[in-house]
Amino acid sequence: MLKLKKGMSRALIYFIEIFVIVISVFPILWVIMSAFKTNGEILSSPLALPSSLSPDTFIHLFENYSFPRYFLNSLVAAGVSTAVSLLFYAMGGYVLAKYKFPGRMLLFTLFTVTLLVPAHSKTQPIFNLIMELGLYDNLAGVTLVYLSTGMAMSIFILRAGFLSIPGSLDEAAIVDGAGFLRIFWSINLPLAKGALSTAGILMFLNNWNEYYFASLLTMSDSQRTLPVALSYFTSEFSYNYTQLFAALTIVVLPGIILYIFAQEQVQASLASTGIKG
Amino acid sequence: MPKKVTKPNRMSKNHWERRNYKWIYLFLLPTTVIFLMFYLVPVVQVFVTSFTKWDGFNEPVFNGISNYKNLFTSSAFLISLKNLFFWSLIAMFFHVGFGTLVAFVLYQRKRGWKVTRAVFMIPNVISAAAWAMIYRFFFNDNFGILNSIIRMIDPDFDIQWLYQSPWAFWAVTLTWLFYAVIVTLLVLGDLMNIPQELNEAAIIDGAGGWQLIRYIQLPLCRSAIATGVICSLTSRITMYEQISLTTAGGPGNDTMSLPILLVNAVTDYRYGYANAIGVLMFVIGLIMMGVINKVFRINETDY
Repeated sequence: MLKLKKGMSRALIYFIEIFVIVISVFPILWVIMSAFKTNGEILSSPLALPSSLSPDTFIHLFENYSFPRYFLNSLVAAGVSTAVSLLFYAMGGYVLAKYKFPGRMLLFTLFTVTLLVPAHSKTQPIFNLIMELGLYDNLAGVTLVYLSTGMAMSIFILRAGFLSIPGSLDEAAIVDGAGFLRIFWSINLPLAKGALSTAGILMFLNNWNEYYFASLLTMSDSQRTLPVALSYFTSEFSYNYTQLFAALTIVVLPGIILYIFAQEQVQASLASTGIKG
Repeated sequence: MPKKVTKPNRMSKNHWERRNYKWIYLFLLPTTVIFLMFYLVPVVQVFVTSFTKWDGFNEPVFNGISNYKNLFTSSAFLISLKNLFFWSLIAMFFHVGFGTLVAFVLYQRKRGWKVTRAVFMIPNVISAAAWAMIYRFFFNDNFGILNSIIRMIDPDFDIQWLYQSPWAFWAVTLTWLFYAVIVTLLVLGDLMNIPQELNEAAIIDGAGGWQLIRYIQLPLCRSAIATGVICSLTSRITMYEQISLTTAGGPGNDTMSLPILLVNAVTDYRYGYANAIGVLMFVIGLIMMGVINKVFRINETDY
């Protein structure tokens, strides 16, 4: 009896594991598979494997549409905003972790409570701000907005990272006559590598995938990021399914590849901060 | 070397700190500027202008609570509130429930648990816009997975999932229902922190598998579950891509959500009205968080 019960719960465990894997992977595999089929194949046998694996559709997309441009736009917007804001938040997180000064708790609370403000609710002020700065329909405007999106999470992660570096190292450096900047740059920053890469990867992934503000703040084709381009592409070429699936593949794959390489950080940090989802 | 020994360390650090105030505040400056530009000023602006009539070109004109009055008499808004209510219930019980279930399954560490954990994350690392698009194809009438599978059994089957009432609501629900990896990771983290002696003591006391889960493990991860509930409820409030790129709120207003209404109002240059929606989103979020903290007694320690 006991054995039977154990066997059943084991079957249940494997069933749930398989279910999770199927719902997470199958839709994406289906998209990639369909990118290699012809329109006719997609319509007549949607679930069948493609008959050939020719990369023609992808080449066609890159040659005839601005996909390299969209790709570059996404890379620039996500890359620049992540690099700059990582430096800013590292500076902020560093002094919040290591120094006592008037207003410390207040600033930390203010920075992290931003987690509770839904980004969508600030749509109009941010739209107007970007208009006034003359950055509407300019990738720079999108990049500027992305600077702000990871604030609470990054300050959390980076402050914790700097807190775990022993203060005795700083004191030794002070005694040796090192200045403020040097202690930050040469001693603390290298030792906070883990926290920096975690915060950096999370911000990059979020900004790479961001659709809402990118679609709101840009108009012309040359300023579109991949997710925005994808949505236009879908409405304009709704008859060419092969191309749609190929475009979708191009948008989806980079994030997955980045995730595969940075799995540990992404999982650990997402669980510790509970962002997204 | 004697010079260094005569300097007491504590003293020098405090003194040194005070001498470096200018550096400290300089280091905080960029974050503070971003905070002011993108959080404090916008939030104040949203709140204040939600009591005005404003098209963005002319000066805002104070009009009391008439934006809010208009909202609560608009059927699109009421439907989106109703949707939010049902989606929140579904999120709380099924979405978080499923995530917790998967966490307990992975905690057994049977073969494949690491792969499952890694793969479950994938839908969360790709763009929500792309995910919405994938599901749009998934539900497509001609070549979508769902109808293709159903037609293997019933060749005459014909439902346009995203365009027919009442199916659209459930189709949109399905785009996020099972993707509860955040909940899973949060709960799994708490489970793995349970001291092994505690589990062993319970087993020695005669607790079986289910009792162990029911009386020891589940109560000990309640704050992770609460955090999971908060995360999933806040993402219900801000649900945009999944709707805008699949049904756009239709058919009728069947799948309307607050962000969709907000964006529609912004593109119509009804800024005061849009900001009233923004204020309500914020307030609803705060209320939800307060209630959940109370229900789960989140700030109490267990060990």
